[in-house]
Amino acid sequence: MKTTTRFTLAAGAMLLALSATAAEKYPALGPLPPPPIPKDNPNTPAKVELGKKLFWDNRLSGDGSMPCVSCHVPGLGWGDGGQISRGYPGTKHWRNSQTVLNSAYYNKLFWEGSVTSLEAQAPAAAGGGVAGNGDDSVMEMRLRFLPEYVTEFNKVFGSEWPRVNDAWRAIAAYQRTLVSDARKVPADRYATGDKKALNDAQKRGMALYNGKANCIACHNGPLASNQQFYATGVPDHPQFKEDPVGQVTHRWEWYQKGVTEKDYRNATGDAGLYYITMNPKDIGKWRVPSLRELKYTAPYMHNGMLATLGDVVEFYNRGGGDAQNKTKLLKPLKLSAQEKKDLVAFLEALSMDEPLLQDDPKLPGDYQPLPAPTSAAK
Amino acid sequence: MKNQHRKRLALTMGVMSVAAAVALMADSQPVYAQGNAPDLAAMPESKPGNATMIELGKYFYFDNRLSGDWGVSCASCHDPKKGWGDGQALSAGYPSMEYFRNSPTILNAKYQKRFLWDGRLDGSDAGTLVRDMITEAHTMNMDGRLMQERLKQVPEYDALWKKWRPNDDINGMRVFNVIGEFIRSQETTNAPFDKFKKGDESALTAEQKDGYALFKGKANCVACHNGPIGSDGNLHKTGVPEHPDVLKNPSRTITMLRHYATSGMPNYMNARTDVGAYAITKDKRDIGKFRTAQLRDLKYTAPYMHNGTLATLDDVIDFYDKGGGAGSELKALNLSASEKKALKAFLISLSGDQVEVKDPGQPDMQVWKTYGKN
Repeated sequence: MKTTTRFTLAAGAMLLALSATAAEKYPALGPLPPPPIPKDNPNTPAKVELGKKLFWDNRLSGDGSMPCVSCHVPGLGWGDGGQISRGYPGTKHWRNSQTVLNSAYYNKLFWEGSVTSLEAQAPAAAGGGVAGNGDDSVMEMRLRFLPEYVTEFNKVFGSEWPRVNDAWRAIAAYQRTLVSDARKVPADRYATGDKKALNDAQKRGMALYNGKANCIACHNGPLASNQQFYATGVPDHPQFKEDPVGQVTHRWEWYQKGVTEKDYRNATGDAGLYYITMNPKDIGKWRVPSLRELKYTAPYMHNGMLATLGDVVEFYNRGGGDAQNKTKLLKPLKLSAQEKKDLVAFLEALSMDEPLLQDDPKLPGDYQPLPAPTSAAK
Repeated sequence: MKNQHRKRLALTMGVMSVAAAVALMADSQPVYAQGNAPDLAAMPESKPGNATMIELGKYFYFDNRLSGDWGVSCASCHDPKKGWGDGQALSAGYPSMEYFRNSPTILNAKYQKRFLWDGRLDGSDAGTLVRDMITEAHTMNMDGRLMQERLKQVPEYDALWKKWRPNDDINGMRVFNVIGEFIRSQETTNAPFDKFKKGDESALTAEQKDGYALFKGKANCVACHNGPIGSDGNLHKTGVPEHPDVLKNPSRTITMLRHYATSGMPNYMNARTDVGAYAITKDKRDIGKFRTAQLRDLKYTAPYMHNGTLATLDDVIDFYDKGGGAGSELKALNLSASEKKALKAFLISLSGDQVEVKDPGQPDMQVWKTYGKN
């Protein structure tokens, strides 16, 4: 009985896969629903406003030079525009600074999915040795010497003094407001009935996306990501071989992930999901990124190795690169020059017509001396 | 079985007799012993440290890549040209921060019973002191693992390290110990007082000898300032006034309260003074207590006290002449002007030649061609 059912299902799936409308077995693209808000960190306007300030505030980093916004710049697609994120002074990072746009929808953050909430992502970035290098207790104490924050934290969280964990909550709440506006995204307008929202090239691109090119296999659902992990064979960034500071980071990151000294000294390359599972089958796997706002977030891939959307399409047209665990989903696509152009045109239609930009918030000024103690009992 | 037992017994007896011999030797040392009045002592003949460690440690000491953002090295706040301190009342600390205490000289670390102004670290373990300074957020804010990999990227360091430890890579605690070994190798030399103590009567002037008598007598400095470096290594309250900048400059209050918070001190947000050892012991009797400072090389290490509030040795002598400040354990001394002058002259005789060590320079990081094997 069971065997029969399974067989039928498998046969059905095969038939579907063979049919021209491969898209049907995957969740369709379409406008994003409102982002999920965790019950223990509800969004309020005051919290979002506070979070925005904190996102910009350089005092949430080791030496006051690396606020969140330094690697997630609104004008650079909320990334930093470079292949590899710039990293803390004196260091280099080893991966691309991802856009924070629509990060609200990911169930796991970072390229290898190492944390499960924005609340956990913020301190990992602000405290990471090659990112913000901030010490929690220092950052917390700094906030307490800015009366404007003392008042706002009290209003938002009810605490007598700002607590650094609440800072991460506020930043997470703010980031949940940084989402694509479906009214400004051609592909979303098209999906909701405006048949003129896409031009002919884009429509042909969409058909390729859902069909011949089979992008939809992984880049599906409103986020255009199934949030799974795959090896596609993106080559390692040359800084591991060519840059002394890059080599330092390479060994240090391996060490950070909890491998033995022998392992990290003999390591070559970034192993991705392997660091989380420690399963050799996961070496070189990365979480499928969303394809939204691609127009503004070049360069691409976990290490920025592909400069343009044309390069990305070409990479997949060849069936990806070399990797020991490369997904079987990738095969040469044999797209014509016109088809590649059409696909790029459609990918761009997943971005808003205008980039989402924001002005710098007005930050509290200099640290202020503490008031006299309020009561001896506290 | 029986044999083993006997062997063990013999071993134990052997250890006991060695211990007894050591105890006897200790008794025969000229340093003041039980029952004798405390006194200053000459700098002991010191066994030289491990030369390769010291050479490596010297490089590391001056290398700003041992701080998080390459902003500071050990030498930034412990500069040989400034008496191995920084010449400021209050130390600067890591970029974007300002510290709330004075940067003390590192000279004679080998003879310190405790490290740091609040005495929180054991003087026998210089490596841990170095670790604390390098990894603390408000001093060098360095991740220990990132540090070792940076150093590993410098071929000269790798080669020197291999000379010391052929089967080992540059790694964390040993890096700290290497710097500790360098620090422990820096000590006062050629102080007139030491020559005097070893029999050269002419090494001190008549005035300095008067000062020494006051030191041991009327002024009773010796009660706390004794032994070879002039410190009993204990915690005392002398009532040094607060440095006003610690509260006036919020950046300094931040590092102070943060230090209290991370030390687990209760009620830290309400602290408005430097509580000293209390933050560590949480014993109210320790509020305002600090480690007795050594008196060696004072000539080069102004300003004085845990917060640099006393600019000159005259100020220090005046301070003690009044019996210290609020809450002091001390009594007024009623020294005459000439007595104060003699005392100062004597204090200076405890300083030696300026201990100079030149920055050996910073060899560059290089790419390892053996990527995947380092």
